[in-house]
Amino acid sequence: MLRRIFSPPLPPLPPLSPMPPLPPLPPLPRLPRRRAEWMNLAVPLLLIVALLVLAAFGQILGGPFERTVIEAMIRVILVMGLAIFIGNSGIVSFGHTGFMLVAAYAAAWLTMPPMMKSLALPGLPPFLAEAEYGFLTSLVASSLLAGVVGLVVGLILMRLSGIAASIASFAFLAMMYAIYANWDRVTGATSSIVGIPTYSTVWNSSLLAGLAILVAYFYGRSRFGLALRATRDEPHAAAASGISLYWQRVLAFILSSFICGIAGVSYAHFLGVLNPGAFYLDLTFIALSMLVIGGRSSLCGGVVGVIALSGFIQILRWGEQGVSWGQTTLHLPNGVQEIVIGIIMVLSLIFRPQGLIAHDPVWGQKKLPPKAKHGR
Amino acid sequence: MRKVMKIKQTWHGLSLCASLSLGLVGLGLTASPSQAADKIVVGMAIASSGFMTAYDQPAAQAAKIKIDEINAAGGLMGRQIEVVEADTKSDQAEGAKAGLAVLDKGADLVIVSCDYDFGSPAALAAQQRGKISFFLCAESIKAGIQGVGPYSFSASILAAVQGATMMEWAYHKKKARTFYQLKDTWTEYNKGICDGFDWMESTGSLKDAKIVGKDTFKNDDPSISAQISRIKALAKEPDAIQLCTMMPGAPSAIKQIRAAGINSMILNGSGVDGNYWINAVPNLTNFFVPVQGSVYGDDPNKAIEQFNQNFAKKYGARPVTQYTYPGYVLIELWAKAVTRAKSVDSKPVVAELEKMKNEPTLFGPRSFSAQLHHQNQGLYLIAEITGGKGKIVDRWQISKPIPLDALLKK
Repeated sequence: MLRRIFSPPLPPLPPLSPMPPLPPLPPLPRLPRRRAEWMNLAVPLLLIVALLVLAAFGQILGGPFERTVIEAMIRVILVMGLAIFIGNSGIVSFGHTGFMLVAAYAAAWLTMPPMMKSLALPGLPPFLAEAEYGFLTSLVASSLLAGVVGLVVGLILMRLSGIAASIASFAFLAMMYAIYANWDRVTGATSSIVGIPTYSTVWNSSLLAGLAILVAYFYGRSRFGLALRATRDEPHAAAASGISLYWQRVLAFILSSFICGIAGVSYAHFLGVLNPGAFYLDLTFIALSMLVIGGRSSLCGGVVGVIALSGFIQILRWGEQGVSWGQTTLHLPNGVQEIVIGIIMVLSLIFRPQGLIAHDPVWGQKKLPPKAKHGR
Repeated sequence: MRKVMKIKQTWHGLSLCASLSLGLVGLGLTASPSQAADKIVVGMAIASSGFMTAYDQPAAQAAKIKIDEINAAGGLMGRQIEVVEADTKSDQAEGAKAGLAVLDKGADLVIVSCDYDFGSPAALAAQQRGKISFFLCAESIKAGIQGVGPYSFSASILAAVQGATMMEWAYHKKKARTFYQLKDTWTEYNKGICDGFDWMESTGSLKDAKIVGKDTFKNDDPSISAQISRIKALAKEPDAIQLCTMMPGAPSAIKQIRAAGINSMILNGSGVDGNYWINAVPNLTNFFVPVQGSVYGDDPNKAIEQFNQNFAKKYGARPVTQYTYPGYVLIELWAKAVTRAKSVDSKPVVAELEKMKNEPTLFGPRSFSAQLHHQNQGLYLIAEITGGKGKIVDRWQISKPIPLDALLKK
């Protein structure tokens, strides 16, 4: 035992033979130049220009066409709000029209003439009952209220995982509807409230739509948008990288409820008449169809979905009214519109599950060299 | 592989272009040309699709009968009346568009949907352009100055008048002294009927009449057994039940009341007039509603029965409910005002309409004032349903008009 410990020192190692020189490295393939940030901005800016052109047409043609354009702009805002949350988190929310409802009624509380409020909404607290603010105040305050409701609801709902959160968001919508349809001294219950000043024009609604597109764009490019998409695609890897799934979702939920709030305010000032029934299932499903058919994860998809579907609905309604063809009038049976939209939705989910536009187009980037055959 | 990719890409591009252009064409469809000016144009922004069609179409058809009569007699001030229509699709946002569409076609008068909630967007559009609007048959105080503006009118009679009429009539003609009120809180119309009952009691003109109890339910409640057991718990069955409800929930409520063995007379508003639902409550008896004219073929005014027959000849079926008639009345009143004002401009025509005091029409006298563009008093026929059949049994006009303050609940 002791012998082993006190063994004699090992003989020295033989000297190392000199390394043969390394063969020279093959030249690196030239990497594509990184795009400048302004190049990425081209997509939202082009979309905004397109909307402004549409707005100009609305202004020139006037009448019902102008109204249709404003309505389409408001839907662009709503769909952008949906896209911020649904597109990045992958959770389908059925509750976002609820935020539109909250903001629209808040806009009515803030802007209606006090005399009409005393008649229609006698239960308002004095600071609202006597107030008569302008469009900007109404826009900011009401959308913020939607955002605050989004915060409270988001803190609760986002604790749930995917499908459970979707179902709970639907419950939220039903709850908001039930409250607003029964709180008669403050919301006028199911009867319509009128006298909301009609401030919405093609210009301010298209500018707000542009704003919504920019917010959706910058959020998507930000670290928060990236983090949320990471939780959508690889929740475990994202969590391992220190991303909080819960807080990222809550943040997106607040932002999207704020944008939906803007849509609600514009809608209230567009129609001048409010009724809780206007913000329930019909609008929810139309908006979701627009988003899904257009494309959930691209800005262009949302806008194209709104334009394509709004126009398509108009054509079907026109068909329902009857089209004269010489002596005969062709009628589509009533209700065809809903059925056809349903069929389009199913076809789109089968053949183009990513929607019409899956990714926003990219410019100024060279094509990557083709992948090697053996690949991964 | 490359080729397949390429085809796929082209295909994607094509479908995208197709859907976008389809969308833009569709949006463009809403733009429409305007019309010539040598005619008087009446615009109808009413529902020709969706659930409101059932209410709007009969009244609009009655309006067209009156317009045809005027045109056949040489027109209004020598000018023919032309009707232009736009569909509200029973939707509020579409309603505003329909209003603008008929205004763009040069409408001098805009006729809007029967219901306040669905007619008001189009009426507001007309108000903003300074044009007169008439609700086909809205019975809420809001359908007029209070809810739209000074150029808006309604062709029907306030719901509160219906409640008040039934209570006063039952007191004097049926010796009813104790009343029990059962209110369906679904619509403004229902609440309006019950407001009428309440006002009639509060005037004190019916000395020993008393509403002995009040209860509420909702139109789509599948069961009102709790409410019924409270009626049964009363010491004595009330002489009359004041029911403030409408379709589609009314038959269910009535059936449950009768099935529970409550045989008191039931008083309701005009909303349940007509034969079409009576099969749902077999052998219904002792049930009364106020109507502006009879659809049962027994109207004391022969001219009204003549109208029913003309209607049947033109449209293939007799009117189903009394809500057909206000459409005729509104054209009658408006045409008179236009003739007197010698103009179709809104201001003079509104002034002439507001001068009308008990203006005779085919369906009874009508009045308007600068405060109220609605009827707060009206001559009603009383229809009784006995053994599952409707017939006219009496007529009644409330002894004094309902004051504006009571209507606005000030």
